[in-house]
Amino acid sequence: MLIIIGTYFFFAKNCNAQTTFDSLKIKQPKHFFNTVIVLDSYRKPNQSITDTLDFLNKRLKSYGIKQYNISFYTPIATINKPTSDSNVTKNTHILLTGNFMALQPVFGGIPQHTLIKAGIGIRAIFNSGKKGIWFIDASPFITKDVTYASKGYYRMANTIIYSYNKSEKFNFRIGITKSFLWGNKNYWPFIGFRVGRLDNVNLSFQFPKNITFNVPINPNLKFSLYTRPQGGMFNFSNRDSLNYFRNDATFHFTRYEVNTGLRFDVKLNTNFNFYVAAGLSTKNNITFYSDKANSSRPRLPYRKFFYEQNFAPTGFFNFGLVLKFGKTKSYFNNRNIYDAIDLNNIIDAGDGNTNNGGVQLPGKTKKITKKDANLSSIQDLIDANDY
Amino acid sequence: MKRQLKIFALLFLLLQSFVFLAQKDKDKVEALRVAFIGKKLELTINETEKFWPIYNEYNDKIKALRKTVRQSFKKGVDNMTDKELEDLYQLEVKSKQAEAELHKVYADKIKAILGTKKTLKLRVAEDEFKKEIIKTIQDKSD
Repeated sequence: MLIIIGTYFFFAKNCNAQTTFDSLKIKQPKHFFNTVIVLDSYRKPNQSITDTLDFLNKRLKSYGIKQYNISFYTPIATINKPTSDSNVTKNTHILLTGNFMALQPVFGGIPQHTLIKAGIGIRAIFNSGKKGIWFIDASPFITKDVTYASKGYYRMANTIIYSYNKSEKFNFRIGITKSFLWGNKNYWPFIGFRVGRLDNVNLSFQFPKNITFNVPINPNLKFSLYTRPQGGMFNFSNRDSLNYFRNDATFHFTRYEVNTGLRFDVKLNTNFNFYVAAGLSTKNNITFYSDKANSSRPRLPYRKFFYEQNFAPTGFFNFGLVLKFGKTKSYFNNRNIYDAIDLNNIIDAGDGNTNNGGVQLPGKTKKITKKDANLSSIQDLIDANDY
Repeated sequence: MKRQLKIFALLFLLLQSFVFLAQKDKDKVEALRVAFIGKKLELTINETEKFWPIYNEYNDKIKALRKTVRQSFKKGVDNMTDKELEDLYQLEVKSKQAEAELHKVYADKIKAILGTKKTLKLRVAEDEFKKEIIKTIQDKSD
């Protein structure tokens, strides 16, 4: 069997007929994905809890959010697969993802708690080379209240999506996602479509992640109008005895809000972007769940909460830095790789619904300017024999 | 501490702005080139799907080859030992051979996707782009 496999690969390699190129052992980028790090800061102002009939309302007094998030993804393997049609480029991308979130729910009546969520995940993207892409993500993470000594709680967010590129201007997606984004352990169908090219004006609807209208103004500036949920399920120390009728060391704090806002993504250079977003945060909701009260339903969404509060709409502010490292293989106008990059962006590392703004997508350029035209930028393009 | 962090962040942004001004964005020229070629070729949806991955792969190899040779010349022919000169000579000759081989392999692949007429149109578009960018550089230096 080994001889058969070895013979196949021996002849398969010879069939490439690029022996001289291969013999030179020239270094080339291995992956289509850069390593990307996103530093994200998000805030919502404090809002008073006006209803003081409830005991916990009286204790908490007000609620606001400070959230800091660092996430990254890095390619660890890119496998090019031979196909029966040698003109079809089929590949698989394996990426390592990671995320560290520090959430500070600001309650006016109790000391400040810092809740962390940290995880390392893995994702695979299968590009058929034709019209379809499969995306599979597994993001295990731990949540913990680091203000006081408390045990961590392990959770897992997963996503499987099939994305179909009907054309450059139309794409639809279908799949399933297990996410804590809406403040509970939810299993949602993933339904998405996009109208318009990814590197141009487009409308993207990606339930349950976001609805975005993207307008690139120039290759270095993009404006977008969006609606997206933000939230999660965190461990909260019971040191303040908020779960007063149980003697638990921790309980679960959940939150979600739906943010609608304007965002500007600015590309300062090939390695460094930043974004600023602001808008209105609606459907603001928090709940406290006792873990034991839901232990009979380990795989299902939690139901028995001991506290819930909804808040009136308020403003939010979001700022982020995006750092991009490494060289990649070229993927200009390769719509499947564009789509893979977009999927990798929409399903962010760590189930936090931050967004790197599509830093890997090349900007739409229309005309050669004198500033862009210089010999160093074209020296690999023009051979000595061309003059 | 907070004040120090703010100053650090400000300095970092400032530094990045300078880097941005100094940097020559090669990707932008490459994006312009593929946009120019795409416009000239008027590809169908099926052609687009197959052509760009193959064409990008070809360009990556050619550029890597030329870059390697260019960098090998950096030391200066006058400063090289006989061994280094011989290695460089072999690299130079082999790189031309490899370019020709790559051209043959990928031209055949592209022809199978686009047909003969569009494959030749591609060559014309590549030349037109080179002329256009050289003209822009000339205008700049005038």
